[in-house]
Amino acid sequence: MSAPSMAAALAASLPAPAAAATPAAPTYEAIPPSMSTAIDVEAEIPLTCVQLDALVVSKIIQHSQDSPSGSAHGLLLGLDLEGTLEVSNSFPLPNHTNDDDEKVSKSLARYQTSMLRSLREVQGDDNVVGFYQATSLGAFYSQSLIDTQAIHQERLRHGGVVIVHDVSQTARGTASFRAFKLTPSFIDVYKKSNFSASSLVHHRLTFSSILEEVPLRIRTNPLLSSFLNVLAAPSSASPYTSAHLGSPATSAIPPSYSALDLGNSGLARNLEQVAEGIDNYRTEEGNVAYASRQIAREKLRLETHLAKRREENAQRVSQGLNPLPEEDVSRMFKIPPDPSRLDSLLLLGQLDAYAKTLESAAGLGLAKMYAARAGHTT
Amino acid sequence: MTLGPSNSAICVQNTSQANHSTTPPRPTSLTIHPTALFSILDHYLRRTDRQHRVIGTLLGTRPTPSTVSVTHAFAVLHSETEEQVAVDMEYHRSMFEMFVRGRGDANKEQLSIVGWYATGGAEKQALQGLAQGQGQNGLGTYSALIQNFYEQETAPYPAVHVALDTGTEEGVGAGVRAYVSSPVGVTQKAENCVFVPIPCELCFHDTERAGLDLLLSSSSSPNGTATPTTPLSNLHDALVSTSSALSRVLAYVQAVLRGTVEPDPALGRYLWSVLGTVPDEEGGWATSLQDTLMVSYLANLVRGEAEVAARLALAGST
Repeated sequence: MSAPSMAAALAASLPAPAAAATPAAPTYEAIPPSMSTAIDVEAEIPLTCVQLDALVVSKIIQHSQDSPSGSAHGLLLGLDLEGTLEVSNSFPLPNHTNDDDEKVSKSLARYQTSMLRSLREVQGDDNVVGFYQATSLGAFYSQSLIDTQAIHQERLRHGGVVIVHDVSQTARGTASFRAFKLTPSFIDVYKKSNFSASSLVHHRLTFSSILEEVPLRIRTNPLLSSFLNVLAAPSSASPYTSAHLGSPATSAIPPSYSALDLGNSGLARNLEQVAEGIDNYRTEEGNVAYASRQIAREKLRLETHLAKRREENAQRVSQGLNPLPEEDVSRMFKIPPDPSRLDSLLLLGQLDAYAKTLESAAGLGLAKMYAARAGHTT
Repeated sequence: MTLGPSNSAICVQNTSQANHSTTPPRPTSLTIHPTALFSILDHYLRRTDRQHRVIGTLLGTRPTPSTVSVTHAFAVLHSETEEQVAVDMEYHRSMFEMFVRGRGDANKEQLSIVGWYATGGAEKQALQGLAQGQGQNGLGTYSALIQNFYEQETAPYPAVHVALDTGTEEGVGAGVRAYVSSPVGVTQKAENCVFVPIPCELCFHDTERAGLDLLLSSSSSPNGTATPTTPLSNLHDALVSTSSALSRVLAYVQAVLRGTVEPDPALGRYLWSVLGTVPDEEGGWATSLQDTLMVSYLANLVRGEAEVAARLALAGST
């Protein structure tokens, strides 16, 4: 008997919560203009620059160094702020050389999620912003790269970027990092998966317009800067100082002169690659030509049959009979679809990249040779 | 190429240990890859307010039984209070497995756990009334306990400990120190051990040098950023630095000739041998030049043809 009355008494003593709760419709404060560039919920600010952290640079180079040439790839983690994509961490992805595709992709996904979770636990960034790929001699146009980037561009904020690291350039003394995105017109074609020549013409697509480059810069945070400068600073306690020469020489990071190396051992390999690229392109060209001949032949046969049918119909009409339909003739022949030009597009891009590397290496070689001669004769 | 401040301590090596065939010898030197250092610094930057230092696991290889080469490092969750220390072992294990997986199975030399790192920062020890000197070494009360834990992980090899001074504390310069542990005391107990310093060097592959140069150039620029260099500008920089080095040598030689500077025979011999190695390639030069020009021409031709082929493919279909 007393329980309901108690509850009623309690309810009466409370300051009517229901009445207070109703007008609590969320009112959002307008984002102040000073913050509007920093808060970018819908990813409206286009990417203008990619900023690589020193840690990522070092990790990518080490990974490329460790694995067989051109096979190193991994994910990039970071954030975008005011149009700058800050890449702050990365981790390698295992190479999927096994043939069991579904199993591999599943375990790969598991690996990715558990890695991301682990990084979050130690306050690392866990937002995937793209991936990196190591290449050799500048050739990075490959089907898998385009496929991966196309998937990313659909799923990730800002579409993600791909960072291409050239191992051979780095071995020659120039750390090469470039950031790319797929162009909108290529994505359009890719989505329709229509790589026929007419579609390419319509989108004005050549190999040079598959990827667009995004400016890239390297950043070292102040802590790392100071640490690096300490490492690079000449240590005072070196055993043999060449104080007579004006400056002591030894430090943890001695100066390097690898850029002055005269040897052009890479040229032969590069030339081979170019020749191979041309061969591949010729094979692909042959395939395309064969396919187009096939199409032309089928079309011709269709035409002759149609012409025959029309003749027949004209006869039947003159005899006062109903003409036979023309559709079932065209149904008899299956005209194969236009051959995909994607492969030849990529092969051309590959070839162009090899030739470009070759060209720059030769140019550099010339400069070095004249420098060496000047040093020799004087 | 040692890292960190010079140490006046004698590196005591437990040589009698090496005679036992069952236990591997203690490492006598350690090399560390820049990536591992950068990972540690990044982890230190990302620590929470309550953490005064961070610890993590060092991965690497053992090229010879008595040297350790640290190539990777990852952060490990841990909490340290005045009463207790806790390390998330599960996290540590799963992270190690992922690292091995991520590297792929193509590599012959397996990564293994070789030890652990901790950043400096020992204000807690100072508060507890321990000697200042002890705290400055970055070795806290719990270091022995953690070391004991890692000894189990690296068994049968002994674990190494890398203490990294971030240079953010007063009076302690940035640097890296490496230790192995040695049991001490009448009875063997986990928390009793003495940390014996071993020499520590920075080690990286020659081809990775270019990346380090890039980072150095960005660290010396005022806002800490740099854009990747082109090969030509790189060559220019190298030539400029060579030229300045040559003029320094020239100034020294002239000073010796004038008699203003005491000649140093060792330096003289060194210069003699270096300058004597200029290659004599007068005959090869012309052919080499022709080759290079040919290659350059060919490359341009291929590029032009590729461009034309791409356009022709489009034009042919319309």
